[in-house]
Amino acid sequence: MNLKEWIFTTDHKRVGILYLIGSIAAFGVAGIMALLMRAELSAIGPTVTADPTTYNVWLYAHGAIMILGFQIPALTGFFANYCIPLMIGAKDVAFPRVNALSVWLFYVGVILALLTFFIPDPPDVLWTGYPPYSTITAGNTALYTFTVLILGFASIIGGVNFLTTVAFMRAPGLTWGKLNIFVWCILGAFVMQLIFVPVLGSAVTLISFDKYLGTHFFDPAMGGDVLTYQNLFWFYSHPAVYVIFLPFIGVVFEIIATFARNPVFNYKAAVYGGIGGIVLISGEVWIHHLYVSGMPDWLRIGQMVSTLLISVPVGLLVISLVGTLYKGAISFETPMLYALGVVFLFLIGGLTGIPLAITALTVNLSETYYVVGHFHYVMAVAGTFAIFGGVYYWFPKMSGRMYNELWGKIGFWVTFVGVNIVFWTMMDIGARIGLPRRYYDYAQFPEAASAQHLMTIGAAILGVGFVIALLNWIIGAAKGPKAGDNPWGSPSLEWSTVSPPPHGNWPSPPSVSEEWSPYAHGRR
Amino acid sequence: MGHAAEAVQHGHGGHDGHEAWGTSVWPFVISFGVLALAAAFMFQFVYHKPFAAVIALGLGIPMILGGVAGWVSEAMGHGEGLSFGAMGWFILAEAMIFMSFFAAYWFMRLDVAQVWPPAGTVPLPRVLPLVMTAVLVASSLTIHRAEHLMHVGDQGGFIRWLLVTIALGAAFLGMSAYEWNHLIHDGFTIATNAFGTIFFSVTGLHGSHVLVGLAIFLAGLVPAMKGNISEGYWRTAGLYWHFVDIIWFFVVSQVYYW
Repeated sequence: MNLKEWIFTTDHKRVGILYLIGSIAAFGVAGIMALLMRAELSAIGPTVTADPTTYNVWLYAHGAIMILGFQIPALTGFFANYCIPLMIGAKDVAFPRVNALSVWLFYVGVILALLTFFIPDPPDVLWTGYPPYSTITAGNTALYTFTVLILGFASIIGGVNFLTTVAFMRAPGLTWGKLNIFVWCILGAFVMQLIFVPVLGSAVTLISFDKYLGTHFFDPAMGGDVLTYQNLFWFYSHPAVYVIFLPFIGVVFEIIATFARNPVFNYKAAVYGGIGGIVLISGEVWIHHLYVSGMPDWLRIGQMVSTLLISVPVGLLVISLVGTLYKGAISFETPMLYALGVVFLFLIGGLTGIPLAITALTVNLSETYYVVGHFHYVMAVAGTFAIFGGVYYWFPKMSGRMYNELWGKIGFWVTFVGVNIVFWTMMDIGARIGLPRRYYDYAQFPEAASAQHLMTIGAAILGVGFVIALLNWIIGAAKGPKAGDNPWGSPSLEWSTVSPPPHGNWPSPPSVSEEWSPYAHGRR
Repeated sequence: MGHAAEAVQHGHGGHDGHEAWGTSVWPFVISFGVLALAAAFMFQFVYHKPFAAVIALGLGIPMILGGVAGWVSEAMGHGEGLSFGAMGWFILAEAMIFMSFFAAYWFMRLDVAQVWPPAGTVPLPRVLPLVMTAVLVASSLTIHRAEHLMHVGDQGGFIRWLLVTIALGAAFLGMSAYEWNHLIHDGFTIATNAFGTIFFSVTGLHGSHVLVGLAIFLAGLVPAMKGNISEGYWRTAGLYWHFVDIIWFFVVSQVYYW
């Protein structure tokens, strides 16, 4: 194996695998931050560190790296890169060099994020970077700005690349109505990235302008407004939830259709109503993050309605998922366990989000552990389970080898138990005793101590589960048994080439017939 | 990668397996050039180490310029002609950046400000922005003319009108620099007040786009002089230039004449 060919590669599969390696590394670092925070919180008073600013840096690194360094790059970097050209029967993406640029900019962004642990005055601005704190802190806000800017730019050029690829490079006969639903999900995610990431980039640029160049965008004394930042930030960062959600639900669709051996139920409603609806509404709900920042009542009510409204397209997608299972010949291999786990976790996360959409309830729940538990269920854990399930699902295609099925299932169940211990408890103490989030210590809430202790144990369990999965992949890639080209028996195009696919993917470009569909499973 | 990959490449018609995987060093070089620029900013403004900042700039700028030049000479004329459509998506993203800056402006002016313009604002020139507008519009027309000549196969005419476009873009930047210099000399800076913040941020943002447009032209000019003229490249570059021109109307109307 030639290292230079990997580093300078422009091939979409290798770029994808580079994305996977980088994002899993970021996941490991951000996961360690989470474990450090959990260890700190396991008892009242200082346990791991006596310096609350250190805790703030962990909190910043955990959130920023998990979202910007792990979930978005794994979903829109790795899965999009690896799967989309294969699924649409293309030799590569439209702009292979731009693709290489986006993966290396992603690595630069991750390097910047990791510099947090090595530089003096690391950023301590959470992943949100709210002014006025971010413009007056002694921490290095510029590092945060550049991390977000560079990862954002990588994302934008990736989006341009994939939208062009799918529009112009589909195999002959592969019409829009025959695309894998994952491809539609990625298209929706990238349209949102193109519209919303520039706004985030501008917002974080303006805080560095304010801090280092002396501008007054967010300085009330000089005619600025901190709410400008909150609006710009959440104008991206709420849709970011759907940028994560759509690809991960797309992965889950592919897995469930394959292991239920059914076509996607209600494909058109899922694509036009579900994905299209989310893209349309995603830009109109960000203000619900500002419910307690101060706004007129009419705006609160309007935001409540649009926030609740977005559960309609999301519901369409969930109905399609469950309908795909109906009367299916279901088998429970490891990817399927993860996919069903996503449906379960996402339902809990989604249903516990309804109280947060309703203004009368959210003013009480806001800034408590309940919120943290909710968004970890709906986005963090559900998304991560989908990523792990997807890596298991396409593992034989990528490596040509098979992982260990028993350890795969053990890893799943350990993680599944761990996440439910942590995040259910989190919602519970948030709702019952109103434990405020983000704090370094909780001496005023001694009744939370036993729950905090339990969550630390749960975090250790889920950490073990993820490590089992990672080891399973490494060992499987090195010495697993040969998997064959199509171990799952899926008619989708990516399984029609050899495993692992060569440069160019097929000896000659594939074309598909009138009757073909990525979900036309034979009976078994 | 496993042996299965090689098996197919055998059936491919005797390709050497090592040549089959496409590579390019330039994306890697540019990315780390960007890292050096970020480091330069932090050395200068966060850690106040100007010497280290200069070193980082000295590394980053050649890496990015060299990377772009290498990329263009490697790729010019080898694309599949899809860049024109892709530029449309990229322009959507660019437009959102300008929208964000304008949104910050509208928040300040319409929501927060009691009086506008705030104290400390000096009167802006009235005539110069009109001249700048005329120059930029003219450059949009000249690049259109150049594209037309390229299309009919007149390479010499194409290069002449391209050079005129570059000259007009440079003149625009020159007038902008003159104006900035003048205003800063009068004590009106980016830190003076809310309007100074907006004025320099928005015109600076637009100016940086003019600069990028000129860079795209210059990067393609060298291969073009040697006769390597890619129609897809120049149509895409022209589209970007028209976008920069159109955005200027919003800048000039929002910032200068409102």
